[in-house]
Amino acid sequence: MKLRLSPQTLLVLDAFLVQAEEWKYGYDLSRVTGLKSGTLYPILMRLAEKQLLETQWEQGEPGKPQRHMYRFTPDGLRFARANAAADSGAGLGQVALSLHPQGLAEA
Amino acid sequence: MGAPRTLAAKLLRAVLRLAPAESRDWAAAMLRELDFIEGDWAALLWALGSAAAILRHAASVWRAWLNRKSKKETGMNNTGKKAIGVGLGMLSALALVGCAFAVLRILGVVFPGLEHSSWAYWLAVMAVPEAIFVVATVMLWRKKGPIAAGILAMGLGMALHVAVHFTLHW
Repeated sequence: MKLRLSPQTLLVLDAFLVQAEEWKYGYDLSRVTGLKSGTLYPILMRLAEKQLLETQWEQGEPGKPQRHMYRFTPDGLRFARANAAADSGAGLGQVALSLHPQGLAEA
Repeated sequence: MGAPRTLAAKLLRAVLRLAPAESRDWAAAMLRELDFIEGDWAALLWALGSAAAILRHAASVWRAWLNRKSKKETGMNNTGKKAIGVGLGMLSALALVGCAFAVLRILGVVFPGLEHSSWAYWLAVMAVPEAIFVVATVMLWRKKGPIAAGILAMGLGMALHVAVHFTLHW
């Protein structure tokens, strides 16, 4: 898989690995990873183009603005897990704690 | 709604309107997220970053489209391009012969009688241009094949003309 794995891309992959089966929103990912929209979205676009990420519009209540959601495809999940295993794992730990603040207390 | 947030919404709506079809979903996604951002200035920063991201994405889409178009046209007009190259080579050779004639005429004015001397005539109009044709053909053959072929064709044509001339008059 030809994909430039910058530290920012690794952060995004790590963020998606936390509760990987759940759909995630762009702004939430931005807060979790600390990446600005100008950095985050090009990464999401590349991941989606490489079929590592699937996108979907939220089926919300009528009148409520729909949001774009993202989650790993099976290929994306395999790719991210392989890279997370190769990585030191420091980034993954940080993101996991950010997504689940209660995890910090339990730890 | 504060002024920065209003500006952010306007910016992202404009981006959504102007974005190519391939980027529109992403632009719409960024616009929707604006409603969930706390703080007007944060919303404006979000919109600025989003606009930059869409601009980059649109640029890559257009670049890919241009590359595809250029490749397609290259394949379709390959024969035409070669023909133009050959024509250009022949024209260059013809221009060189024209220049040789012009130089001979000027020398004839400066040195009366030179123009009618057979050795000067053959040297200026035949030997030097033919030597230049051979050198140019060898040098251009690999990189500018069609042009080299045009020059070679003109050189051969001239040599044939001289051969016919000698056969008929001598």
